[in-house]
Amino acid sequence: MRLMSKNILITGVSRGLGLAIARAVVAAGWTVYGVSRATSPEFAALAAAAPGRVKFCAFDLADADGVEKVVFGPEFAGLQVPLDGFVNNAATAYDDLVSNLNLARLQAMYALNVFAPMMATRQFVRNALLHGKGASIVHVSSISAHTGYKGLAMYASTKGALEAFSKNTAREWGARGIRSNCVVAGFMETAMSGALDEEQRQRIHARTALKAPASLESVAATVVFLLGEGAASITGQNLFVDSGTI
Amino acid sequence: MKPAPTLLSVVNQVLANKRRPAIAALPPETRLREELGFDSLDMAELTVRLEEAFGVDIFAAGVVRTAGEVEARLPAAQP
Ligand SMILES: NC(=O)c1ccc[n+]([C@@H]2O[C@H](COP(=O)([O-])OP(=O)(O)OC[C@H]3O[C@@H](n4cnc5c(N)ncnc54)[C@H](OP(=O)(O)O)[C@@H]3O)[C@@H](O)[C@H]2O)c1
Repeated sequence: MRLMSKNILITGVSRGLGLAIARAVVAAGWTVYGVSRATSPEFAALAAAAPGRVKFCAFDLADADGVEKVVFGPEFAGLQVPLDGFVNNAATAYDDLVSNLNLARLQAMYALNVFAPMMATRQFVRNALLHGKGASIVHVSSISAHTGYKGLAMYASTKGALEAFSKNTAREWGARGIRSNCVVAGFMETAMSGALDEEQRQRIHARTALKAPASLESVAATVVFLLGEGAASITGQNLFVDSGTI
Repeated sequence: MKPAPTLLSVVNQVLANKRRPAIAALPPETRLREELGFDSLDMAELTVRLEEAFGVDIFAAGVVRTAGEVEARLPAAQP
């Protein structure tokens, strides 16, 4: 078991999908290096249940500059920790019509959804180069980047940026055994989607083959798959876990 | 105890990863790309290994081409 152990850095672990991914990573027998602005009772319970295998760093990823010094600093996931995986999950959705686009809100969303994960990927690749044993990056993208939903143009554009970044990272670093993929999640029941009313939910579900939200467990299991040896030959891909959007 | 790393030992580590033989000496005028055959990914690896060993990012202040230029950016060796 120890031999197969992996160190996985995950952003946005306090709730929602990130918490589900952290749980699935622990269940796989691996170690979580979790980041979010604050912890939560659920994340603390996970840490208590797996002593020594759940680490936490409270950090606001809006500070893209601090990613290198704090998240990848010597106190947390620095070069002394051989990292096997990076899951870019933390994100925010700024929802409005394009005609109302507000630059400050757009910039704040890009800082968290795009710049921070790009800076984190920089440090993650450096870590992987030092330890030289291959590594896997998984970005959580969104079906909105592929289908289009009223109000989500700005948010979807951040996911489109990540998908392009992932594809090119895969190409650039494949020769060093570093893989990069995206999990394209469909609508999930989390705080992020909490503002939608019942009618809006039904409309979104009606656009899927399964007529249901994507389950957090299914998305998390796909992330774990992409992190693991079973996905050793998969890179530069987008895997859709979206209840079959039609 | 591990011997203190030197530029030569770090360069040899990168060469070993490329399955290339170690070199015995690294004169300052050695050109990393042309003479050691380092490509851009090898240069990135060298940067990270030097950062780990010496705590400085050799590319932070612009491109380096020769061993001497790299050496100049590393902290002076401890006596
Ligand atoms: N929900 C959906 O329907 C849906 C659909 C497709 C894709 N996605 C994607 O799935 C991923 C997870 O979303 P979710 O629905 O689980 O969202 P969520 O419930 O809002 O959770 C977001 C997580 O990110 C953390 N976070 C937010 N801002 C942060 C910051 N500035 N610095 C550090 N951490 C921060 C939050 O913790 P703190 O607040 O403690 O910082 C929380 O743990 C995102 O990439 C999202 O775009 C969601």
